[in-house]
Amino acid sequence: MELKELTKCLSGLSGPSGFEEPVYEYIASYLHHAADEVRTDALGNMIAIKRCGKPGAKLVLLDAHMDEIGLIVTGAKDGFLSFGMLGGVDQRMLPAREVRVLSDPPLFGVIDTMPPHVLTAEQMDKSIDPDKLFIDVGLSQEEAVKAAPPGTPVVYAASCDELGEGQLCGKALDDRACAAVIMKAFELLAEKDLNVDLCCLVSTQEEVGHRGATVAAYGLEPNIAIVVDVTHGRTPDGPEALTDCGKGGAIGIGPNTNRALAMELMALAEEKGIPYQPEAVPGGNSGTNAHAIQIAKTGVVTALVSLPLKYMHTPVEVVDVADMQAIVDLIAAYVEGMEG
Amino acid sequence: MLDTLETLCCLEGVTGGEDEVRDYILERAMPHADEICTDALGNLMVFKKGAVTPAKKVMLCAHMDEVGLIVTSFTDEGYLRFSQAGGLDRRVILGKKVFVGPGRVLGVVGSKAVHMTTAEQRKKLPEMRDMYIDIGAASREEAEKLVHIGDLAAFDDTVVRFGDGFIKAKAIDDRVGCAAMLKLIESDIPCDCWFAFTVQEEVGTRGAAVAAKSIKPDVALILEGTTAADIPGAEGAERVCELGKGIVIPFMDRGTIYDKTLFKTLTRLAEEDEVPWQTKSKISGGTDASAVQRSEAGVAVAAVSVPVRNIHSPACVAKCAECEDQLRMARLFLAEMAK
Repeated sequence: MELKELTKCLSGLSGPSGFEEPVYEYIASYLHHAADEVRTDALGNMIAIKRCGKPGAKLVLLDAHMDEIGLIVTGAKDGFLSFGMLGGVDQRMLPAREVRVLSDPPLFGVIDTMPPHVLTAEQMDKSIDPDKLFIDVGLSQEEAVKAAPPGTPVVYAASCDELGEGQLCGKALDDRACAAVIMKAFELLAEKDLNVDLCCLVSTQEEVGHRGATVAAYGLEPNIAIVVDVTHGRTPDGPEALTDCGKGGAIGIGPNTNRALAMELMALAEEKGIPYQPEAVPGGNSGTNAHAIQIAKTGVVTALVSLPLKYMHTPVEVVDVADMQAIVDLIAAYVEGMEG
Repeated sequence: MLDTLETLCCLEGVTGGEDEVRDYILERAMPHADEICTDALGNLMVFKKGAVTPAKKVMLCAHMDEVGLIVTSFTDEGYLRFSQAGGLDRRVILGKKVFVGPGRVLGVVGSKAVHMTTAEQRKKLPEMRDMYIDIGAASREEAEKLVHIGDLAAFDDTVVRFGDGFIKAKAIDDRVGCAAMLKLIESDIPCDCWFAFTVQEEVGTRGAAVAAKSIKPDVALILEGTTAADIPGAEGAERVCELGKGIVIPFMDRGTIYDKTLFKTLTRLAEEDEVPWQTKSKISGGTDASAVQRSEAGVAVAAVSVPVRNIHSPACVAKCAECEDQLRMARLFLAEMAK
């Protein structure tokens, strides 16, 4: 499947943190033909491995996370569902928002909003405290409690559409767009004669603290890891020091990444004419799975290649497909060129 | 009725740009109309003969326009600045998909990611002048090729039926009234009637003001959607009206004190025919009735409204049975006028 189509499919799947099974199933089945082995673990990570068959080969890990931010039902009042957050939800996005309640069968819902005439001017000026918002599923109290009991996860109901020339706009592109990138890179590389073993890890529960990648990296013990996650793309109201959508993947440089590997990737991108942009990543925590993977077991040489994305953690996240392709090309060129 | 409503909700008719809605209604009404005309503002007026010619000239009225956005300028980076077209609650705009201009260019209302906001910024909403529409253009030049200043933008048009007989769509206010009128035009009606499909209700009932002067009715019934606040957090009278409790027959809103005789007639008709009805528990909102009532030497006005949650947003929610009942009430009203 083409990168763009694959991304659209992945965006449409429902998999908030801790409830990623449908995403796992899709990716495992997609990579089945390319991998020697596809397996999961106690946290539900998707691990696909392609072995080169050479003795003592190093293991290169590609990581992206499959979970998306979401909501979780906490109760019902007069048939309206109260909810908590799964990950860093932007509360300003919630009013009059359409959602998919992941009950069996799933329910359509709308987050209802108090109309202006019962509010003060001051209230109108503020975003709404999520504790005061409820999901309208059009059911009675009795029906609602039965259909969507506490613990039922919820995701945004949003299509993934093409925006302008070559951009995609939808939910969960953080980080399914990057999952698509490493899946395509893995698929490409699986057909090559490599000198390393390659693992494609699509990990769970990143949005609640890099939990899936923490255990997966422990179990896999990679020698080298390339983490692919999203970073903030520049918008008119954002800070100046951001990456730009459309200018290639962002190669992270800072304590959370291996400087030599970052430099090597940049040199390779220059050599191959692959667009990229350097991104300074201050502090020990890049806010990505690189944070967990770098210090797994006795430590991992870790790179962070980020996809610029606008409006992170909203149902209208925007990415540029050319940036995604640039990261596929960079990863493929790097892994293919590795000498055991 | 509901299929017609769904079709009408998917059309774009942001206030001042109702052409697509008018063209659709015109085409469907034409074979059934005895007289049909438009005016300088874009109102569509349809006359249809009924079983009898009543002593009083009767007009039904629903507005075609919906709330939306209007493009005001471009940024150098190719983003669009906008203002509201009709009364919009800016709490419901962020992160919504919109279709801009006649070319229906997809855009999203953007704002910097939550990660880069301060706690204070997360609590206070950005001003509308600081929001922008992202159409994926890389520069001002590129954006200018796709859209123009003054272009209108409408919300995403996906219609969903859900729960126990509910419908979600944009523009239920007031395509629901338009759908009821269209269904009446396509059927046999009890008495002669003028149907006014009006423009610019959302910016001050401006279309109805002139349509009423062309038609010169003695009696007018406004078919509307009205705000419901029947959600947790609103208690008692603050709920205004509730979905599932029936169509709303108002005695008063912020624009109009409705004709008392007509109010009584409508409530009696509802009781007699067992149409569930309620009235509003809070004086709020307004309808085309305000313009029609004070037209020329004055008109007796009444309204029948469908309760709608999230009314001026991309995700209006209404009860399907109440959309059907609004049509029933309009038909009962015409039968009463025929007497």
